[in-house]
Amino acid sequence: MSPRRILAILTKDLRDAWRDGRILVLLLLPIGGGLFTALANDDKLPTTSVAVVDQADGAVTRELRAIAGKSAKLKLERVPDAASARRLVAAQEIDVAVVARPRAQILVAQRAPPAAQAIAELAPVALDRAAGREPRARPPVEVVAAADQKPADVLGSSFDEVFSILLFVIFVAMMVVPMQTAEELESGTFGALRLAAPGREILAAKALAGYVYGAAGVGLTVALTGLRVDDPLVFFGAAFALIVTLVGFGLLLGLLLPNAGAINTYAGFLVVPLVFMAGAGFKFESGIAGAVLDLLPLSQAVKLLSDGASPQQPFDAGPLAWLVIAVWAVAGYGILARIATRREL
Amino acid sequence: MSGSYVSPGVKPTLPLPSAAVAVEDLAKHYGSVRALDAVTLAVAPGEIFGLLGPNGAGKSTMIRILTGRAKPTGGHARVLGHEVPRELEAVRGRINLVAETPNVYPRASARENLELFCRLYGLPRRRAGEVLEQVRLGDVADRRVKTFSTGMRQRLLLARALLNEPRVLFLDEPTRGLDPPSARELRDAVRALAAGGATIFLTTHDMGEADELCRRVAFLAGGRVVALDTPRALKLGLAGDAPAADVVLDDGSDLRVALEDAGDAGRLEELIRARRVRSIHSREPTLADAFIRLTGHDLVAGGDDDERDR
Repeated sequence: MSPRRILAILTKDLRDAWRDGRILVLLLLPIGGGLFTALANDDKLPTTSVAVVDQADGAVTRELRAIAGKSAKLKLERVPDAASARRLVAAQEIDVAVVARPRAQILVAQRAPPAAQAIAELAPVALDRAAGREPRARPPVEVVAAADQKPADVLGSSFDEVFSILLFVIFVAMMVVPMQTAEELESGTFGALRLAAPGREILAAKALAGYVYGAAGVGLTVALTGLRVDDPLVFFGAAFALIVTLVGFGLLLGLLLPNAGAINTYAGFLVVPLVFMAGAGFKFESGIAGAVLDLLPLSQAVKLLSDGASPQQPFDAGPLAWLVIAVWAVAGYGILARIATRREL
Repeated sequence: MSGSYVSPGVKPTLPLPSAAVAVEDLAKHYGSVRALDAVTLAVAPGEIFGLLGPNGAGKSTMIRILTGRAKPTGGHARVLGHEVPRELEAVRGRINLVAETPNVYPRASARENLELFCRLYGLPRRRAGEVLEQVRLGDVADRRVKTFSTGMRQRLLLARALLNEPRVLFLDEPTRGLDPPSARELRDAVRALAAGGATIFLTTHDMGEADELCRRVAFLAGGRVVALDTPRALKLGLAGDAPAADVVLDDGSDLRVALEDAGDAGRLEELIRARRVRSIHSREPTLADAFIRLTGHDLVAGGDDDERDR
């Protein structure tokens, strides 16, 4: 394997994708969908306006954002001093004022909505953390989940973002990668590359291109939607493992179908069941359906992604999930190698 | 057609070790289809060699094997002394191909197309510009290839094939679909390459092209070499045919006259005396005639093995 040749083909594939309208649409559609649902969910949140007399490093603002999380939307405004903050609250222009200096104080407007009052209750914690102090002891507050709560309920609004990430990975692996591969075979450029590089290097470059699209898309979706990832290692690890696994099957599809047009036609038959499978992964945890889904990489990735996204770990998936994904990855690339050899690629 | 035809006194093959391209008992089967069947031939360094045959004769399969993109079912194929595809890495940088289809990246510019292959061959990027100038595409180097005409695309293919200054250049139906000036340009480029010492292995079903370019040609039919010799020798092989002349009369009608037939000859004499003859051309056998005589098929017969190039 020559890294120079693989990199050359990878760069060409990425540039070609950027210039191909069909590929761009396939890449941007799920990200756009995720962003749209995130914005729609965002609109449902109560908005609280907060004036902050912050430290020079902006630590109080940061901590306030962290505390509010996805429970409330904060409209933060930095003001120079406590007097200015008080004037704004008195004028009912601001719901809450959090003053860090010269002495810590919290001001709440008399007619502030409940969300603003909740923020005011939590503001001392932000002030303590910003000052580098342990927050004062408070009775622990525990969220008790409903007995019949589904994982999707546990994920809350993050469900949409996790689902759009799954959708993105499916689109990349089952449409973008096979379309680029099939088009190259159909036009004969694959044959031209074969003169200068072995087939395994060309396929490796195409797989890498799929990983790059996948990694970039997942990162972009998380950044744009503001999805809070509780365990980045599990979350991003699962996303990447799923990308790697499905891209192997995507390449296989590219080799087997006669041209890019056929991918467009037939991919629907694959993409739609996969999307349903991803959705079913959230719904069926036990029974026959659950047992069947447990054997599939997509369902296991659903579990790992959900666990990574939520501190409550709705599935509590263990090593078995990783193992199932790994077995499918090995099977996919094994079949790919066999087909590629048989087809003299 | 059975057996093989070789003109007297001309060796069909060269000693294999000294050949630039050599195949020995080469076979390639796709299931029950014998695309190539016990083919043996050799091409000398610096030679322009033509492999002629109709679609489906096995020409593209031969090129696929010689360029390392297909494994033979049996026999041996050697390029520059190395067994292919087993030792392909040893010759990869010293061979190249002008494919039948314009297999270039349409969304990339001509320069980007070539720079990709510069990187693959480990050549400096400036080589792309040099070769584009050489094939007169320097002015449009940064234009997307999708805006190129067929002739320009074919020149770009040639440019790509010249990038690594190949010692052996394979051309698979290189002038198919080209207008006459573009085809002539490509033939001139091929001659120049051969003059520089490169070996040219050309497949075509254009007998005129083969006659004009090649030092030796092989006729391939049904996966077998049925004749291998110089074009002249192959045509002379038909010299036993009775001499004839094509006559065009003053009313525009054509007449073929067998010169050894006393009746025909007398009739021609009468026509000349009556000043009714506009032109007379002696009719010599062509390579196409030789092919038809030897294979029993004309050049458009047969299926197409191009699909296997996918």
